[in-house]
Amino acid sequence: MLHSSATLAAKSRSVAPPSAQPHLQISGLTKRFGDFTALRDIALEVHEGEFVCFLGPSGCGKTTLLRAIAGLAPQSEGRIVQRGRDISRLPPQARDFGIVFQSYALFPNLTVFDNIAYGLRNQRADRQRIRQRVAELLELVNLRGSEDKYPAALSGGQQQRVALARALATEPALLLLDEPLSALDAQVRVHLRGQIKGLQHRLGVTTIMVTHDQEEALAMADRIVVMNHGVIAQVGTPAEIYREPASAFVAAFIGNMNFFDVTSEGREGLRLGHRRLEGVPHDLTPGVAARLAIRPEAVRLCTEAEGLAAQVEDVEFLGAFLRVTLRLEECEQFVVADIADREVVSLDVKPGQRLGIRLPNESVRLYPAAEAGV
Amino acid sequence: MRAIHQSLLVPSVSAEGVLRLVALLLGVAFLALGLLLPLATMLLKSLQDRSGDFVGLANFARYFQTPALAGSIANSLTVALITTVIVVGLAFLCAYGITRTRMPGKRFFRMLAILPILAPSLLPAISMVYLFGNQGWFRDWLMGQSIYGPIGIVMGMSFWIFPHALMILTTALSNSDARLYEAAEALGTPKWRSFFTITLPAARYGLISCAFVVFTLAITDFGVPKIIGGQYNVLATDVYRQVVGQQNFQMGAVVSVILLIPAVISFIVDRLVQRRQVAQLSARAVPWQPAPNPVRDWTFTILCYGVGGIILVVIGTAIYASLVRFWPYNLSLTLTHYAFQGLAGSGWEAWTNSLRMAAAVALVGTLVVFVNAWLIEKSGGYRPLRQGLHFMAMLPMAVPGMVLGLAYIFYFNQPGNPLNWLYGTLAILVLNTLVHYYTVCHLTSITALKQLDPEFESVGASLKVPFWTTFRRVTLPVSLPAVLDISVYLFVNAMTTVSGVVFLYSTDTRLASVAIMHLDEAGYFASAAAMAVLIFFTSLVVKLLHAALTYALLTKAQRWRNAG
Repeated sequence: MLHSSATLAAKSRSVAPPSAQPHLQISGLTKRFGDFTALRDIALEVHEGEFVCFLGPSGCGKTTLLRAIAGLAPQSEGRIVQRGRDISRLPPQARDFGIVFQSYALFPNLTVFDNIAYGLRNQRADRQRIRQRVAELLELVNLRGSEDKYPAALSGGQQQRVALARALATEPALLLLDEPLSALDAQVRVHLRGQIKGLQHRLGVTTIMVTHDQEEALAMADRIVVMNHGVIAQVGTPAEIYREPASAFVAAFIGNMNFFDVTSEGREGLRLGHRRLEGVPHDLTPGVAARLAIRPEAVRLCTEAEGLAAQVEDVEFLGAFLRVTLRLEECEQFVVADIADREVVSLDVKPGQRLGIRLPNESVRLYPAAEAGV
Repeated sequence: MRAIHQSLLVPSVSAEGVLRLVALLLGVAFLALGLLLPLATMLLKSLQDRSGDFVGLANFARYFQTPALAGSIANSLTVALITTVIVVGLAFLCAYGITRTRMPGKRFFRMLAILPILAPSLLPAISMVYLFGNQGWFRDWLMGQSIYGPIGIVMGMSFWIFPHALMILTTALSNSDARLYEAAEALGTPKWRSFFTITLPAARYGLISCAFVVFTLAITDFGVPKIIGGQYNVLATDVYRQVVGQQNFQMGAVVSVILLIPAVISFIVDRLVQRRQVAQLSARAVPWQPAPNPVRDWTFTILCYGVGGIILVVIGTAIYASLVRFWPYNLSLTLTHYAFQGLAGSGWEAWTNSLRMAAAVALVGTLVVFVNAWLIEKSGGYRPLRQGLHFMAMLPMAVPGMVLGLAYIFYFNQPGNPLNWLYGTLAILVLNTLVHYYTVCHLTSITALKQLDPEFESVGASLKVPFWTTFRRVTLPVSLPAVLDISVYLFVNAMTTVSGVVFLYSTDTRLASVAIMHLDEAGYFASAAAMAVLIFFTSLVVKLLHAALTYALLTKAQRWRNAG
């Protein structure tokens, strides 16, 4: 009942034809640094032409996984198969990928032209072909006429595009992006986000991007791989990840989430403080502690009589909406609600005001009480 | 079965991987042969008697029971400590003048202050004899004391070591954060108090490091005490006397081991201090700009140029001494001493040998050091091998030149050693000098490589460009200033060094610096001065060429450096 609408929306966004062989198959992949296990038994498939984001807090292993795919930091165990070819033990030179690093790693002593042509020279292509290809790529990343500039003379965003052109020059089947936008200003970042996504769509190149910025991942990815502590927490489309987080970690990491401590009562009942909530189906044995989760924008405000009694603690003006922090009188737990300006006027929301809140059943999710790392 | 073999073996044995492994092994072998094995052989020798039987610590016991020998320890410590106090004090004041005042002509003073490094340590000793010796201009200043002994040693060493100390302290003091001084001023802190609470603490690691470097240089130097030490024996001259004078190799080994102790301690302290210094200055620090203060500025100008003046007088004296026909009786000027007539092997031939040796050390050394540093810093895999190589590259700093030279005799002169043919060739002098000065070059390379983006190699690999192409097209050009620094450092040191090579030359490979010593021993003082001056000007010309080349490179050939 909770899942149906979100899943449908997600399916319609899916890009890969279902019968195609996956571009990348990763199985049983583990990476250890001494005693520390950075990646544990990772299994993942990336489809042809897909844009996948590895998302997670720092230290979750997302960059390690990217470097393992590239062969830059070979895994301790496990297999990586690209288009049916086992590349698990191949050095980076023998794999088929282009990569853009967070620092871009542009060669400072080479011009933009020589940077982009760096991999082409090695393919023994003739001069005319190289010049043509570099011109094409510069056109592609909107940097016509910059051939003779040195990287130091370019802005951060321009450097980023040169790095992208260099990675694409040899027409790799797989494009790897390691936090490519994190060194840029907020505005440039949003602009380039759209450019990269558009470019990827036009070229149809299978792309994996590592990021710690959830907004970036939601905006760009066909599918998101959420990682935590070296394991995959959830794989899904942005909508699936946002609407149906598979664990309390994913729920808390993507967007904002309210959590309430509850105990189960019967098949459809939950106890929150003194109140019994009805209509949330679960298969918990009675009396077991759990956590009820709901997004701030799903919380509804009403009069005290219509919902759970709560007192307004704080109101934050955030432009398009207001963020209201309330204290539930039932159980002394706090709840955050994002509401439109209009409602504030009609309900007279101000600190100290007593109101009611409603948690629509279709928007709540239930998680086990004890989950590591949240 | 075959399929499994292929997937497991073939890819990991890529051509590039093999090449890197071979290069790493060569690097390890190079330092094992040039450093570890000779040192081990020498340590073993100190525990053997003349016939090669193991005698435990008997040699050491005999050493400490012979007052004529053991007394040198106190002598060495005395001159080294006094030199350390004088040099660190003076260098601190001058470094303060350079970094924290508005004295005029800072660049000129820094150039002046570097000059002593370009001469062998024998040069100041020769000048001291001319200035304060029995017929010197200023002998009365010593109030009856002789220049031949501790006074002369301290003065000569102070001159020669001063530039090393000044460079370290200038770097330490230029790490200033203006925000701290502004905060202190806002709180009404008097100037002297911010000096003791901000300036000194910020420079403390530099000061400690500097003191140990100076002490090590002083206690291991051979050139100055050899010329001017007279009857005042120190450890470095003892090694020479035992080996060359008395052919007592076992006792030479014992003195070497004792000489090794202060150098090793100083090395360890320096490494510990360096490790702590790293995170001292935050990236957000604002460099401090001194405001004009006439009293302070002129005080330091007079002080610094006083020091600069002394440096010029010392060098000038050597030049003058090399030009005077017969000191002090006939003061007419002549170039005859530069003809080195009748001094077969100790004249221009020695200078040519030195030039060839220095060029070879600079060329081969820069290549070896930089490639090894690159293997350590930039190539993946083989971690234990890379760490081992790095450790071996750090060791030479703890080994005095005299000790390394003697160790080479023991190792390469063994009849059974397949490398025995090296003995007596120019090649062994090149090897010895390169290993002797390896560490500083290694650290310079590592620092330069660390400044490069760590992903250059990954980008190269992802574009299927072999690593040597990325090395040639990117890594090397970007690191070129550091590479040039290394080569000129090696060249100058190879020109001026005495301590390492004094045991290793043959009649065909006598070097200019060794020739100075022989000319001085034989009483050809003017010719000795001439040879020292010759070395000085050779180093100076190379240094100037290096400066011009670096300038041209940074402004023209490497336009990209100024692209921002």
